[in-house]
Amino acid sequence: MRSGALSSGPSSSSSTDGFRIACRGVSSGYLGSKVLEDISFTIDEPAIYVVLGPNGAGKTTLFRTLAGILRPSRGEVLIGGVEVDRQVSRDHLHYVSHMDGIPDGLRVREALEFYARVERAETLDVDRVLKMLEIEELADRYFSQLSAGQRKRVSIARVFLREREIYLLDEPTANLDPKLAREIREVILRLSQQKIVLYSSHNLFEAREIGRYVIAIRAGKLALFDRIENLRGSHFVVGIRVLNPEVPAALANFTRQGDYFLRELPGPDAVPALLHELDAQGVRVRELREMNNPLEELFT
Amino acid sequence: MFYAIVLSVVPGETFSTLLPLLLPIMGTIGGIGAMLVFTNDRTKGVFEYLIAYGVPPRQIFLNVLGAAMALLTVVNGATLAVAVGLRLGVGYGIPLVFVERILVYSLPMSYGAAALCTSAGMYWTSLSSPRQGMNSPLGLLPLIGVAPGVLTLLAAEVAGPTLGTYVALGAVVLVVLLALILLALESRLMPRERLLSPA
Repeated sequence: MRSGALSSGPSSSSSTDGFRIACRGVSSGYLGSKVLEDISFTIDEPAIYVVLGPNGAGKTTLFRTLAGILRPSRGEVLIGGVEVDRQVSRDHLHYVSHMDGIPDGLRVREALEFYARVERAETLDVDRVLKMLEIEELADRYFSQLSAGQRKRVSIARVFLREREIYLLDEPTANLDPKLAREIREVILRLSQQKIVLYSSHNLFEAREIGRYVIAIRAGKLALFDRIENLRGSHFVVGIRVLNPEVPAALANFTRQGDYFLRELPGPDAVPALLHELDAQGVRVRELREMNNPLEELFT
Repeated sequence: MFYAIVLSVVPGETFSTLLPLLLPIMGTIGGIGAMLVFTNDRTKGVFEYLIAYGVPPRQIFLNVLGAAMALLTVVNGATLAVAVGLRLGVGYGIPLVFVERILVYSLPMSYGAAALCTSAGMYWTSLSSPRQGMNSPLGLLPLIGVAPGVLTLLAAEVAGPTLGTYVALGAVVLVVLLALILLALESRLMPRERLLSPA
């Protein structure tokens, strides 16, 4: 695990070439009160970077600072080597806040057309996006009449009006039903093959599923920036479900939790040996999974 | 509008005296719509998106002010058109003093009071956590907006016809001056953080 001034890894050839995000000693906040302190990192590889942290840690402030909405009180944010406050930098960014940001008085199509004008996109793009996110039937409805999930979908639709190199998505799947959340995640995953995506979420399983890197913020400071696969919890607990649970002797060293028999191992390397041992004792394993999520420890 | 219609058909000086004094009050109330939009858009995070796309916070502030002025122009324009049309229709003339009062008092007071009320409202709303009803900035804002007009109306009545003119002119100068001061302090009173929705 690494923290402090870090790079996300080696630069790779991609469509984001030259659109590195460099955050150098950034302190930021609201009206003199400091929320973020001395944040430094560099991102130059297309991937999903999951931003995690407890409530009030400064995740939204980090997104707002990276998007150029808040000005750092110290340090600088550079997009492709240019300060984020400059329009040329902003033109490479898409930002989705945890608020929907669409006026109630507008119909869905009008709202998207409004943002298309702001982004200098075409009306044709509005039709394309309506179709892409399967919200054509909502086009003529007032935004205020939509459900929370439908609002979120419209809010996210904005980022597909124009292609950008960097996407800052603050809790994009909050309030969505599981099916829609999965669809949105799939869209974002496809996007991340060529683009840099910063993604905040309180759903640790979602974070682990889609993220390649984790940026953990704690009390306004960068607590961790590393590849998720490098994360190791202080405890590695596996749970197994078996087809023949009537073999108590073989499972004596396990604790029971619902259908699962749990055991703490030194690490993932010990899993093959465990399976071999169970097989030798006649235990037929139906499923084995890691029971604790190392990302949980970032919240404690 | 109702008062304008009633005053239009009343013979004598009442039309020329009262309508110019009432016009700023009607206009200011009409301009409150811009503040409603401002408050709603701020709470919903619309400004956050606009700033992220490169719209300067000052432009947002000036656009809301411009919207209030546009609404005020519509309300005052419609009121004057109906009142003057009716007045001429029933056969009463439009005295020169009425035109003078509209140009020298009503219009500057309307725009000054609306600018004062909208600027103060934006500063105030962005300082407050969302509240509903009369206790909210939006509930109290119309009272701030109409206060200059109403107070001038009362003071002019107490001061009498000659002194009343000076009272009205003094009030116009004061309100316009205050509105300009608030406008000049925009960057200090309204930093970009105040346009953001609560995190």
